[in-house]
Order: sequence, then structure tokens, then C-alpha cells
Amino acid sequence: MKCEEFESIGLERSGQRMIEVEAGLQRAAREHAAQCPDCAALQESWQEARIALETLRDSTRDAETPDRVEMRLLHEFGMRHRTRKVRSSAIFAAWALATAAVLFASVSWWNGRLTHTQGGAVSAVNGVKSNAPPTEASSSDASDEAILVADNQAGDFTLLPGSLPQEVDDSAIVRVGMQRGALSAFGLPVDEERVSDWIQVDLLVGQDGMPKAVRLPE
Amino acid sequence: MSIPEQDRDDVLLRRAAKGDEESFTALYRRHQAALYRFALRMTGSTWAAEEIVQDVFMTLMREPKKYDSGRGPVGAYLYGIARNRVMKHLERLPRELPLEETNDDGAQVREIAVNRFTPAHWAEQQERSERVRAAVLDLPAEFREAVVLCELEELSYEEAAQRSGCPIGTIRSRLHRGRALLMAKLEILRDAPRRVSAAT
Repeated sequence: MKCEEFESIGLERSGQRMIEVEAGLQRAAREHAAQCPDCAALQESWQEARIALETLRDSTRDAETPDRVEMRLLHEFGMRHRTRKVRSSAIFAAWALATAAVLFASVSWWNGRLTHTQGGAVSAVNGVKSNAPPTEASSSDASDEAILVADNQAGDFTLLPGSLPQEVDDSAIVRVGMQRGALSAFGLPVDEERVSDWIQVDLLVGQDGMPKAVRLPE
Repeated sequence: MSIPEQDRDDVLLRRAAKGDEESFTALYRRHQAALYRFALRMTGSTWAAEEIVQDVFMTLMREPKKYDSGRGPVGAYLYGIARNRVMKHLERLPRELPLEETNDDGAQVREIAVNRFTPAHWAEQQERSERVRAAVLDLPAEFREAVVLCELEELSYEEAAQRSGCPIGTIRSRLHRGRALLMAKLEILRDAPRRVSAAT
């Protein structure tokens, strides 16, 4: 073994790295140290240095990060993830609000459109009626018609007793001829002197075939 | 004995990234001591080692997705970050050296990693430890790393090479050179003029 080889092998005296050195090489290193005073001195010096290193190693063997570092890190960790959660909640809330606003706007628009369509249909019916010649009743009994005409102007029927507003949504308008006295069956006030007069009445008939509201055409 | 799946570092890291504080704490407690010791032995400063460990875990907290399991275990990844921080610290060190701390009586404060309340009969050992600590810290960074990893951390050449990211041969030669320099600094070379000239 040469001195250069000894320097790379002979100084390994213990530990994991010594296992890596083959037994034959270890023996050769020992023989070289016995013959070469320089290498023997080097080995002896290194042993002294190794002892000093072991002292240093032992003095730092149990060294650990101070607890304050863990506290700082956990504080930062909490802050970071709390902030993220709050941000996520805010984003979710913003999206929910936006969705609700869009839904509300859509429903409002749809309702408005429906009202407009129904108003148009009623207007059309009213238009047909207005083109028809005035009936005797309508011209002769202004006082009785006043209430219904007022309702008519309001653009709606007068609900019959026991009917609910939502029941008239899908109803059909039927124009019928009847004696004025029959209006009392709908709970409407009738002049007793003119109960036998024939008049035309618009009935709002529900899907069950029952009249839900009444209107006296102009 | 295999580590349970839920306790594996990569699993803990994944959970920590989702905000699981317990997983982060477990990961920290598992690796802090080794990283701290490495940083302490490389820098010789407790505050620097503390800052480095904190920095390593802050990086992990900020950018957990930077870890790529295909490139090695979490421990090696953390060590790589710590090593970068140590090298940056050592690069800055010459400018920071003049700011030496002193005691009330004007004596220089040396931040040593030994028990300050060592009994008197340990004084000699402490002095020796201080001498070798100063000698190790005086080594150039790459030789110091080889000495710290192979002599103080007691890693094999292969492990030291993996941690340093260099071939085994490089670690061997750095260690050889580091030892020679260390012996010269400790002035314990005996009758070996050939090695003295090599070490200086």
C-alpha cells in the first residue's frame, strides 16, 4: 500500500465507513502504518483530532430547535390557513349572493312578462267586449255596475266568495247571459226591482269547472 | 418495520398543505432536531441554526407543492433547503463577523452549543470542544460540510454524497482535505511535514 492509499483508507478506524473498507485493505493499512513513520504519525494525529471531534459531536448530540420556533411556526400556520378559510367563505358568500340576485332578477322578469301577457289577453277580451253593442242592462243600471266597472277598470275580476287568488291562474273566461237576480248567488248586491233583467257576465271558470270570479262587461 | 401509511412524511405533508396543524407539527418534530444540529455544526451559531430551521419549515408551509416525491423523501428535501440556507448564511458571514457580541465586562460572547453550566471537571473537555468547533468553523464550506456529515453526523460516504448532491469520490476527497486542514488548524500534526504542506 502506498501513502496516498493509506490516507484515504487508513484513517477510517471506526463507524459505518470502516465497514465499507474491505478486511484485506484494513490489514494492508495496518501493515503500512507499521512500516511508514509518516503515516503512523498521521494516523496518530487523526486519532487525536477524532477524539476532539467526538467531544464536539457529543456536545451537540442532543441539540434541538428551541420551542419558540415551533410556536412561531404554528402561529404562522394558523394565520395562513385561517386567512385562507375566511377568504374561501367570502368567495362562497359572494357567489351565493350573486346567484341569488340573478335568480331574483330572473323570477321578477318572468313574473312581469306573465302579468304583461295576461294583461294583454284581458285587454283583448275587453276589446272584443267594447266593440259589442251596449246591452240594455249596462245602459240602464249604472248604479249596480259601478262596483264591477270599477273592478274592470282595475283590470281584474271580482273574486267570488270562497275563491283564492291563486286558483284563477289557469282559468278560462266564459261569457254567459243570466238574469241579474242570479248575481246574488255569487254574493253580489242586486237591485230587487231589476232582478229579472237579462245581462251578460264574464265568468272566470277554474280547472274544476267552478266559477272563481265574475266581471260585468261594460 | 414499515412506517404506517398515515405517518409517512409525504402523507403528513399532504395533510399539512390542506391545513392540518397536527400533521405539520408531527413533520416538524420529526425533522427539526437533525436539521438544527446540521445547521448548528455548520454555522456554529445557535441563532443562525434557529433561523435556518424556521426558514426551512416556513418554505415548506408556503410552498408544499414544491416537494416532488419522485426526487426523494421529504427529509432529503428539507435537508436540501437547509443546506441552501446554510450556504447562503456562510456567504454572508464575513460581512457579519465584525459584529461580535460582548458581555457586560467586555468579554466576547461565543455562542457554544454546550451546556453553559458544565461542572468544573468538564472544563478541559469543554475547552477541547471549543477548539475543535472553532477549527471546524474555520474550514471552507465544502470541506466543512464533508467533515460535519461524515465525522459529526456519522453518515456513510454514500449518504453524505446524496445529501450534498455530489459523487462519492468528491465527498471522499473533500473529507480527506478537510481532515488535513482540521489537523493543521488544531496543530496536532506530529512529525508529518508532508501532510502539513498539504494541509496549508
